[in-house]
Amino acid sequence: MDLSYLWAGFSVALSPLNLAIGFTGCFLGTLIGALPAIGPINGIALLLPIAYTMGLPPESTMILLAGIYMGAEYGGRISSILLNVPGDAGAVMTALDGNPLARQGRAGEALMISGLASFVGGTLGVVGLTFFAPLLSTLAIGFGPAEYFVLMIFAFATLGSMVGSQPVKTLIGCVIGLMLATVGLDATSGAYRFTFNEPELGDGIEFVVLVIGLFSISEAMFMLEHQAKGGSVIKVAGRTFARWADIVRCIGPALRSSVIGFTVGVLPGTGASVASAVSYTTEKRLSDREGTFGKGDVRGLAAPEAANNATAAGAFVPMLTLGVPGSGTTAVMLGALMLYNIQPGPQLFAERPELIGGLIASLYIGNILLLILNLPLVRVFSRVLQLPNWVLVPGILVLSIVGVYSTHASVLAVVMMLGIGIVGWLLRKLGFDMAPIILGFVLGRVMEVNLRNALAISGGDLSILFQSTISIVLWIMAAAMAVLPFAIGRLARRAAAPSPQVS
Amino acid sequence: MTSSTGPRGAGRSDRVGAIVLLVFALLYGFEASRIAYSFSSDPLGPRVFPMMLAGALALLSVIYLLRPGGAEPWPQGRLLAQSLAIPGLVLAAALLLEPLGFAVAVTILVTGVGRLFGASWRLAILGGLAQAALWFAVFRYLLEVYLPGGAVFGM
Repeated sequence: MDLSYLWAGFSVALSPLNLAIGFTGCFLGTLIGALPAIGPINGIALLLPIAYTMGLPPESTMILLAGIYMGAEYGGRISSILLNVPGDAGAVMTALDGNPLARQGRAGEALMISGLASFVGGTLGVVGLTFFAPLLSTLAIGFGPAEYFVLMIFAFATLGSMVGSQPVKTLIGCVIGLMLATVGLDATSGAYRFTFNEPELGDGIEFVVLVIGLFSISEAMFMLEHQAKGGSVIKVAGRTFARWADIVRCIGPALRSSVIGFTVGVLPGTGASVASAVSYTTEKRLSDREGTFGKGDVRGLAAPEAANNATAAGAFVPMLTLGVPGSGTTAVMLGALMLYNIQPGPQLFAERPELIGGLIASLYIGNILLLILNLPLVRVFSRVLQLPNWVLVPGILVLSIVGVYSTHASVLAVVMMLGIGIVGWLLRKLGFDMAPIILGFVLGRVMEVNLRNALAISGGDLSILFQSTISIVLWIMAAAMAVLPFAIGRLARRAAAPSPQVS
Repeated sequence: MTSSTGPRGAGRSDRVGAIVLLVFALLYGFEASRIAYSFSSDPLGPRVFPMMLAGALALLSVIYLLRPGGAEPWPQGRLLAQSLAIPGLVLAAALLLEPLGFAVAVTILVTGVGRLFGASWRLAILGGLAQAALWFAVFRYLLEVYLPGGAVFGM
């Protein structure tokens, strides 16, 4: 296999600027992950416009955002363990065994084991990414417009069946996102759609405005209502070095969960929360013979942490090779690439090897940096748990205003962001998740253009969508995904596990 | 949308939400059917895909209407006012950004939101001043992002 792209990537990622940016991303990511309620997707939404206005080249922006993504998956465990409040959606399962351990006075050990598990998951995930991404992009070279359109259908089917307790709400979110993407100039016909003669809408709804409105305004409003009451931070005391016996016991669960996490990550749209839930339940079924899971079993801690970090790496596979994000967070990163007028797809490997190689190489470096940040320096990050909301929330709002204002230099854009934020808040109150909207939005144009191109090739004959082997396989996979929830519905009802959200 | 707490109330806001979405789907579909264009190089044209989306959303909203559930209770009274004060303060800061400058707008925003999140006046104002100084320094000098100086720090 040709891995020359990776070696070229290391020369990009090891440049002083990109190393500094990668370190900043990992540091901020761990911080964002550790803060309760703020996850990778919020962090990336906030920092993306700033990176863009600073004029960073696309590969540096990607390295920054990837560092935040991975860092947040590491950092999320800190508040799960010490505060029993998950730092982000992917760390929900980490609290189940992590917090009991901390209450037994073993917080330091819990942080070390989960940090090591994160490293194992993260590194194996990146190794998987290194080998699978070129493979998939070779396969995807054969994709024509029809295959791309069916791939999007498969992506939405996966999303509807795997994410959230109510598929109908997930799918409504996707359709709303697709609808938002149709606003503006239609390049094929030159028609203006849904612009109501507003020149501001001619270029469509701005990605930054949408993402910040959905993920930061609505989040601030939610945090006001759901202010964590009581909940004391457990001090990191006692031994900080885990017992060897415990580490050895965690090797199997961490390896298995890495594979699960990576696979879930590769599936379109399904992120860390699905992966950590699946890996925890699997591990509980496989190795919980004494019934110690949920009471402070180190294996129940290692499994979801390895899984959520492997997912983050896995989610890059479809995003970089097919242009279909593997998680909500990679959907925002895809939108970031679009700001630079880069459309990810199989050609990206040939056209921008420095971008893909640099990004992947930075993930290897980032994992090592994160291990250092998250083992000896974990106490520093545990301090941010004491940061009061009256400092944190206004800070988020300032970053939101600056982000939107600096990318568009218009107050009107800020007003639009607020409108979108309030609609987002209303939808969230109704139980909708915001990530499917972003996924629909970033996939909207591609989906429509490919459908129309396919039909232009066939002269309007719909059978082109069912002709090639790849399309047929994708249709079958989409159908299987649509049936899946009914097939495992009985199992899920018996287990009655909390339903995952997009992270 | 002021439905009360409790499962029955939550079901009601689900139904209201589903109907709003259904109406939105129909309006969007209607708008889509009137998109003006003279020529398109593909057989579908600019109308069909949006109309498909309208159909999909209409169908999904009907399913949602028939199987409601999952909505959270709405905040009441004071909490509702406080929730809406957040976008209100952001709006105020945005409108003051150009006339009064970044530092003043941020001080007002951080102080106001700080109060909503339970800080005393003294802490909220201190926080406002501190964050204004911090963010101004970070953006102007460290990241070199343009911010309006306004009447107070304008050049």
